[in-house]
Amino acid sequence: MNHRHLLPDEIDLLLDNEVGFGVAPLKAHARECDECRVRLEDARLVLTSLEATPHFAPSHAFADRIMSQVPVFVPWHVTARDTVARWLPQSRTARITVAALATSAATVLTAAILWIATQTDVLVFASGAAGDEVRSLLLSGTHTLLAAVFGDQVSAMIQAAGTVGIVAALVGLGAAAAASIAGLRALALASSRRRA
Amino acid sequence: MPPALDLLNLPDADVVALAQQGREAAFRELIRRYERPVFSLIFRMVRDRELAEDLAQDTFVKVLNHVDRYRAEFKFSSWLFKIANNVAIDHLRRRQLETVSIDGSPHAQTTDAIEATSFDVAVQQESALDELEARELGTAIERAIASLRPEYRSCIMLRHVEGRSYEEIAATLDLPLGTVKTYIHRARHELRRALDHLREDSG
Repeated sequence: MNHRHLLPDEIDLLLDNEVGFGVAPLKAHARECDECRVRLEDARLVLTSLEATPHFAPSHAFADRIMSQVPVFVPWHVTARDTVARWLPQSRTARITVAALATSAATVLTAAILWIATQTDVLVFASGAAGDEVRSLLLSGTHTLLAAVFGDQVSAMIQAAGTVGIVAALVGLGAAAAASIAGLRALALASSRRRA
Repeated sequence: MPPALDLLNLPDADVVALAQQGREAAFRELIRRYERPVFSLIFRMVRDRELAEDLAQDTFVKVLNHVDRYRAEFKFSSWLFKIANNVAIDHLRRRQLETVSIDGSPHAQTTDAIEATSFDVAVQQESALDELEARELGTAIERAIASLRPEYRSCIMLRHVEGRSYEEIAATLDLPLGTVKTYIHRARHELRRALDHLREDSG
């Protein structure tokens, strides 16, 4: 028997179940030496007790308190995927049918777009007409909005000031709306934090 | 409504991926899985239930608010324990609270406060004598853990309470592997020394 007792680091090697070169003589010594065997068993007992120490639980509202400080943001692509998934049928046959119909519709639409693209004259005429229509709709909408917000007299003054007046009025309106939204959001956040 | 998810059986990486997609249930599942280990680690570091709960809450809020930065090549739990350890160590450094008593928070001013912040280690054993011995050993273990230096404490907790490998602990705590082994070996020696009196009493 090797009469040198095990060093603390050698006991740690045995506790970690190391298998490297030199561990076998340590194990053999621990088997034959009563003192070292007792020290090893004591060390194992400490680790066993350590491993048996329980986990402590936080209070019941712990998760809710955390979630009140974690804004959950759903990215647009996830929302889109969920929406599509909600509309898709569950059975395999129905899904194949839907996919076939969607492919047919996409093919017809592509062919139609390609045909329209080849008709240059028609395209120029149609885009011009659509542009005029959109412009007149925008003007009429802006006038209606200004009259509704500022009243007929102020609206007439703004229109008399020309494009600069209209743009300035719209920017002012947008800034006021943004400030209101920001204020309401800050109030809501402060309120939810107080509740939490 | 998103499709129903069976979160309980998913590995951490998948649950984290769902949290990155904004699923609130995935956030809650991550909290459910790790609230006890994280709270226990911090509780054993700071020895004050209310404070530990606040620090554990800070840990989760930090991690979950930055879940989009999580990289799947690391274990989620290692990332979480790293933040928890940093939060606890930062606090201890600020307060210079190195060793505290298991018999109650050092900040406790009244008898009720001391009682409210003291440990009660519940262990189930067959006989009353076994239970008494086990409770004594459990309390002694907790006292011995509390007497360790904070860096030894987090290493030994991660190794023997959370069952992490030396390599995982090194990655979690940003320490060299050799340092982790040294800390754990020293912590074991100190624990053995601290618990020697039990062996002498029983012997």
